Amino acid sequence: MVHVLVVTEVQETLPSRNTLEVLGAARSLANATQGAVSTVVLSAPVEGLASALFDGGADEVIWVEHPLLVTPEPEATVAALTQVVPQVGAHVVLLADDSAARDVAPCLAYRLQAGLVTEVTAVQAEGEAVVFRRPTYGGRCLAEMVATRFPVVGTVKLRSMEPAPERGARPGQERRISVRLDESHVRTRVVQRVAEEVRGVKLENARVVVSGGRGLKGPEPFLQLQDLAQTLKGAVGATRAATDAGWVPVSWQVGQTGKTVSPELYIAVGISGAIQHLAGMGGSKTIVAINTDPDAPIFKVAHLGVVADFKTLLPPFTARVKTLTEA
Amino acid sequence: MNVVVCIKQIIDPEIPAEQFKLDPASKRQVRGGLSLVISAYDQNALEVALQLREKAGGKITALSLGEPEAQGAVKSAMGMGIDAGVLVSDPTLAGSDSFGVAHILAKAIHKIGLPDLILTGCVSGDTGNKMVGPLLAEELRIPSVAFVSRIEAKDGKIVARRIVEDGYELVETPMPVVASILSDDTNVPRYSKLKDIMAAARKTVPVWKAADLGIDPSCVGPGGRRLEVRDVGVVQRDSRCELVTGDTPAEQAERLATRLRELKVL
Amino acid sequence: MPFRELHWNISAHWLIYPLFLPFAVACLYGCYRVLQVVLVGQPDAGRPPLAAQIRVVADQVLLQRRLLAQPIAGSIHVAISWGFAILFVATCLVAAQDYLGVPTLRGAFYLYFMSLTVDLGGVAAIVGVALALVRRYGARSERLWKPRDQEGYALFLWLLLAILVSGFVVEGLRIAATADPWGLWSPGGWLVAAGFTGLSSAQQALWHRVTWWGHAVLAFGFIGLVPFTLIRHTLAAPANIALRRAAASGVIAPVALEDAEHFGVSTVRGFPRKDLLDLMACTECGRCQDACPAWTTGKPLTPKGLILDLRDHLMAEVAGRSSGKTMVGEAVSEEVLWACTTCGACHQACPVFIEPIPKIVEMRRFLVMEEARFPETMQAALRGMENRGHPYQGAVPSRTAWTEGLNVPVLAEKGTAEYLYWVGCAAAFDERAQKVARAFATILQAAGVDFAILGDEERCTGDVARRIGNEFLFQMHAQANAEALNRYGVKRILTTCPHCFNTLKHEYPEFGGRYQVTHHTEFIARLLRQGQVRLTKSLGQGVAYHDSCYLGRHNRMYAAPRDILSQISGVRAIELDRHGENGFCCGAGGGMMWLEERTGKRVNVERTEEALRIRPDVVGTACPFCLSMFEDGIRAKDATDTLQVLDLAELVVRAM
Repeated sequence: MVHVLVVTEVQETLPSRNTLEVLGAARSLANATQGAVSTVVLSAPVEGLASALFDGGADEVIWVEHPLLVTPEPEATVAALTQVVPQVGAHVVLLADDSAARDVAPCLAYRLQAGLVTEVTAVQAEGEAVVFRRPTYGGRCLAEMVATRFPVVGTVKLRSMEPAPERGARPGQERRISVRLDESHVRTRVVQRVAEEVRGVKLENARVVVSGGRGLKGPEPFLQLQDLAQTLKGAVGATRAATDAGWVPVSWQVGQTGKTVSPELYIAVGISGAIQHLAGMGGSKTIVAINTDPDAPIFKVAHLGVVADFKTLLPPFTARVKTLTEA
Repeated sequence: MNVVVCIKQIIDPEIPAEQFKLDPASKRQVRGGLSLVISAYDQNALEVALQLREKAGGKITALSLGEPEAQGAVKSAMGMGIDAGVLVSDPTLAGSDSFGVAHILAKAIHKIGLPDLILTGCVSGDTGNKMVGPLLAEELRIPSVAFVSRIEAKDGKIVARRIVEDGYELVETPMPVVASILSDDTNVPRYSKLKDIMAAARKTVPVWKAADLGIDPSCVGPGGRRLEVRDVGVVQRDSRCELVTGDTPAEQAERLATRLRELKVL
Repeated sequence: MPFRELHWNISAHWLIYPLFLPFAVACLYGCYRVLQVVLVGQPDAGRPPLAAQIRVVADQVLLQRRLLAQPIAGSIHVAISWGFAILFVATCLVAAQDYLGVPTLRGAFYLYFMSLTVDLGGVAAIVGVALALVRRYGARSERLWKPRDQEGYALFLWLLLAILVSGFVVEGLRIAATADPWGLWSPGGWLVAAGFTGLSSAQQALWHRVTWWGHAVLAFGFIGLVPFTLIRHTLAAPANIALRRAAASGVIAPVALEDAEHFGVSTVRGFPRKDLLDLMACTECGRCQDACPAWTTGKPLTPKGLILDLRDHLMAEVAGRSSGKTMVGEAVSEEVLWACTTCGACHQACPVFIEPIPKIVEMRRFLVMEEARFPETMQAALRGMENRGHPYQGAVPSRTAWTEGLNVPVLAEKGTAEYLYWVGCAAAFDERAQKVARAFATILQAAGVDFAILGDEERCTGDVARRIGNEFLFQMHAQANAEALNRYGVKRILTTCPHCFNTLKHEYPEFGGRYQVTHHTEFIARLLRQGQVRLTKSLGQGVAYHDSCYLGRHNRMYAAPRDILSQISGVRAIELDRHGENGFCCGAGGGMMWLEERTGKRVNVERTEEALRIRPDVVGTACPFCLSMFEDGIRAKDATDTLQVLDLAELVVRAM
């Protein structure tokens, strides 16, 4: 009987795609053990959110409202959750493995004296234990981690779980938990938020991603990639080599320390295919690699490959795609 | 401003897939003849520390937990210009999980003397874990900021650039604080000067044992793990790449587009 | 009896000595200053034996061999220098008659030498100076005007002309005034005399006296100027040639690092004295510049500019007016230092044997080892060497991956073999170059040669590290490799890479590695001649052989590859314009394989264009770097349909 608590992220008035994925995982785990899924939302009740969460697989929605949680610093989130989790009595606490979780999950686990697994790609119950799978060695391997003591905190790797199947209108409970928070809990303070302008579709939601790597040799060729991405109504990504060189913003990075994407089509241009990059796009449905080096490791994971110089290949390709998609 | 940088020595990950071998018994990578390096983001952390020292002075200490060979990593850090280094090495500490590592590092940092800033790499180059930084902060009861690419220090506070999904946040915290470092174009690790390499080679790195640090044995070693690593297996990828050929780029482009259409992707 | 009256019309001729004195003092003082400047440098290392030097000096100073490599410009210099030498000797011979009674102005000697030969010498010199003026100001030959305007040199040429012409005027006036019966023996003077026959005797005598003293002042003035101007090369060049380094151009001298206070050279005083003498011997002729592949393709590096900038910096330093300017970074920019491919064309071209490469490498050593400030892609290559033992990215699993299906023995298993085939990093890790190793192994097996490879015990020879300036890394590799080779008792090495060849042969003895090293082209040529490999097919292709700098210019090996081509039936060997010792670099040497060229045209594209101009079917190479550069160049020029690049081993296999 595993009770799972899912930390919810809200976008507008709906659960985010990340949350739905986590809920999906939580739901299967609960189903397999005749357990339950609670979700905690760190805000005042939002109209329609609860039913969306029930549809997504939650049995219970817990509202936690506090002024310090309005634009939450990770520390406020941790402090709040530290109080909520014992009250809920959850065995497993799941969060999406996003940028907030990097600060929240470890601190929360520490304060709960709980175990911690990050980047979980699969979770299942085995008798009294819960088994998590996560990538290791840069993504070359998959490790199986067994939790026999609870609670345990897990961050779920994006785009590796499926949201729960549609169930239509489902009943569920709602309740509130109040927490005691004050300024002393929050020592860090966000002074400025800078959004790096992205034209068109966002990387994490794009159906098509065109990424550039070391082979681009500079920032200007990324314009060619943007052309292609626009034609395909997709987004532009980059590897660590490109962001370390300062050619594009760090938030464009796809990979182990960047974004995880799983588009329908991933076009890797001038990317060698280092294992840390694959960690971020390995789940893409169709991978196309364009590289002048036929030995590049990317060709071992791509579905289609062209050994060519992107500078001469992309213009005719973009043109062809344009005519095909306009037809 | 005094800084401690926590570094980890790992097997060079920049190797072709065929050279990666796992030991089925210990479930760890076999070293073979591969060389040992400092985990990549730890190197970025060393660079950040060096840049901060250039601006604000102070002492940088490299702290590592590992096998005795990890002295090489500490010397390598000193070759980059780090002032001093310490290695914690003890067979009883092997197999610790991130909580254990954080505990050990915290004890070591107390022995060094709590600095103003503690830096780690954002992600470990072998395990891919990203927990030690924040856990270390918890052990030391100080704040932490993860996935930071730049740091500026002034008046007992730091302003850290934390990378988030759609850009970055500038986060201000009082010191002491733990920051885990992500790479960008401003913190590319510098090449070491030969003079520094040779000077480092002549120094001896102090090695501390568990007993020197007063470590709680219940949270270190294999027995102290909160989760058990039951298995590690190499992910098999079947190489089924279909190469699109053509005599000219235009031809290749044409064929690629056609193929994608056939696959119903376009 | 033919004769000339000594000092005719010049009664107070003895005044010439006090007149000369101040100029002589100035000249000596100037020479002393130059010596002082040169001596601020470090003491030098070894020197070739004197006997060998005398031959080279004679070749270059008397026969002016290098200068004549450019026939027109060379002839101009020969005319001027020999002309002046003859005139100078003649002047001395006049003094010999005056003080020693040697009858130089009498008899046949007077006619044939002192009159005819000397006059012809003078005429030649005038023609030479006139042509020089035309070259410099009419044709404006580029290498004379870049990178610096050289307006001041008109002064020298006009001064020379004035000296020569005034000399003929003096002679003409004398011939006219004395109605010299042997005037015709001095054809130049005789012609000039014709112009003065209209003057009265008194006028002729007066003008003769005026011109005589005027000529003396001009000549003495010139002598006084010698050490203060580029004319000092008349003294510095022979010295520079005589004192040249023992090692060949492709060899970089080692340096002890253990207790070194500083690494590389960051101030002029850090250079060995020979390098400073180089700076003072430069005539600013620009032949090095014309030959330099970097300058030719629009990079800021020109050997001439480098030497002159260093010279200016040296002079300013010694005079105390360098105002804290750094040598590396300000006097010589870092961009300049990282543009050099160490091809040695500048060494080859320089008539006074100036050596830019060792200076560049020393300054690179400073940047790399002392400052750790050098291009990132080179850093990545060196890091690869530190961690993986080779500078390539790591896609290929091992150094024996190329041997698949070939049954190539590894020394660790075989134990011993007559030849060790040193494969090198390119042939092991670069996909295109692996084919060369396979071709060569195939040839060796067909010839029944007893050979083995080191396999994964091989580490990069370190050539790249040394040329980039990381001497430390080079020495570590050299030591490790020499130990491995000596452990197996290796005596004979074959290699398909000229860089490995050059380093193993010349730079490893320093580390206890003494082997007989043979490049594969030499070996294959020998196998073909001895009939150990039979060629049965005809290739029917036009092949242009591209000389590798490290095989050709640095090691003077031009014949063997061409010999191979001549033994393949159906091959039509075509020569590229710039071939042999004038071969144009492919652009990859000196660590440049790991540096993106961001300025001007890419060197390999320039060379590919040159190849395309003569329309061969194949460019033949003997070096994996050249191979890679041509592959890239051919792709860049979209010529993959019309031109192929193949290593000579590959060509031979195709004909087997």
